[in-house]
Amino acid sequence: MSWEVVIFYLLALVSILSAGGIVVASNPVHAGVFLILSLFNTAGIFVMLGAEFLAAVQVIVYAGAVLVLVLFVLMLVDPDDLPEFHAGRPVQRVVAILLGVILLLEVGIAILNRTIVGARGNADAMTIEFLGGNVQAVGNVLYSNYLLAFEVVSLVLLVGVIGAIVLALPERLGERVRHRRDTISLAHARGVDMALPEGVRGESPIPVPGARREEPVAEATRELIMTRDPDSYTDAGEPGGSRFRPR
Amino acid sequence: MTELGVNHFLFLSAVLFIIGMMGVLTRRNILIIFMCIELMMNAVNLSLIAFAWESNTMYGQAFVLFTIAIAAAEAAVGLGIIMALSRQVYTVDVDEMRTLRD
Repeated sequence: MSWEVVIFYLLALVSILSAGGIVVASNPVHAGVFLILSLFNTAGIFVMLGAEFLAAVQVIVYAGAVLVLVLFVLMLVDPDDLPEFHAGRPVQRVVAILLGVILLLEVGIAILNRTIVGARGNADAMTIEFLGGNVQAVGNVLYSNYLLAFEVVSLVLLVGVIGAIVLALPERLGERVRHRRDTISLAHARGVDMALPEGVRGESPIPVPGARREEPVAEATRELIMTRDPDSYTDAGEPGGSRFRPR
Repeated sequence: MTELGVNHFLFLSAVLFIIGMMGVLTRRNILIIFMCIELMMNAVNLSLIAFAWESNTMYGQAFVLFTIAIAAAEAAVGLGIIMALSRQVYTVDVDEMRTLRD
C-alpha cells in the first residue's frame, strides 16, 4: 500500500466524517465549521487528481466567500427564529436512510459495471508540462472551447449579485430606521443615530451650549420603573403625558 | 484496494452526495439544508474531476469551474432569500413555511 493510497483514505475518512457532522450538528455554526473541514479535505483530493487550480478555487470560493456569507447570515437571523435541534421526525429519518442506502446501492452497481466510451484525451502529464502547468491548461480550454459559456457565467454572477442586493434590502426605508434604533452606532455616543426621527432621538449628538442636557434613561432602569405604578410619574400639568408611558 | 483507481473517487463522491441528501431530507433549519446542498454540489464536482482524470482531458476541470461559479451565485441569492424570509415570516424552519401569500 503506497503513501498515495494512505493519504487518499485519510482525506476521504475526514471528509466523510465531517460531512456526517454537518447532518448531526445541533449548532449551525458547528455545521459550518464541519462544512469547511469537509471542503478542505475534498480540495486535497482535487490535488491528488491533478486539479491544483480547482483546489485553490475551492478553498478561496467556498471557505473564503460562501462560508463567510453563511456565517454572516447566521448572525443576522434572529436566534429565536432558528428551530431547535431535532433531526426531523423519525419517519423522515427512516425514509432518508432508506433512500440513501438504495441510492448508494444503485450508484455502486453503476460504478462497478460501467464501461468507458469515447477516446481518451491528450492532456497527459507531458502536455500539461509543455503548456506550463495546470492553470495554463485549464485556461487554454476555458478561453478557447468555452469562451461563450465563460461570458454567460460572468453575466449570471452579475445578475446574482443584483438579485441578492434586492432581496436583502428592506422594502421600506422606515423599516430600516426602526431597525436601526436597536443597533449600536459607533459614530455617536450612547447609540443615538442621526437617521432617527426627531421624537425618537434621545439626545443631540452635538452638545448645544446652554441647552438642558437630558440624560436618556437606560433600558434596565426604565424596566425597573415600569414595574412600579406608572401614574406616580405623571405630571399633574399634562394629563396622560408621561414619558414613562409603556410603549 | 492497494492501487488508486477512479472507482475510489467515485465511491467517495457517492457517499458524500448521499450524506448531503440525507441532511436535506432530515434537517429543518434552512441554513443547514443550504450547507448540505453545497456538500452535494461538491460531491458532484469531485466525480467530474475524477472522470476528467480518468479520460485524460481538461474539460471536466473547466466544467467544475463553471459549477463553482454558479454555486457562488446560488449562495448569494439563496442567502438573500433566507434573510428576506427571516424578516418576513420570522422563522428559518422549513416546516413552518406553508403559505404562498405575502
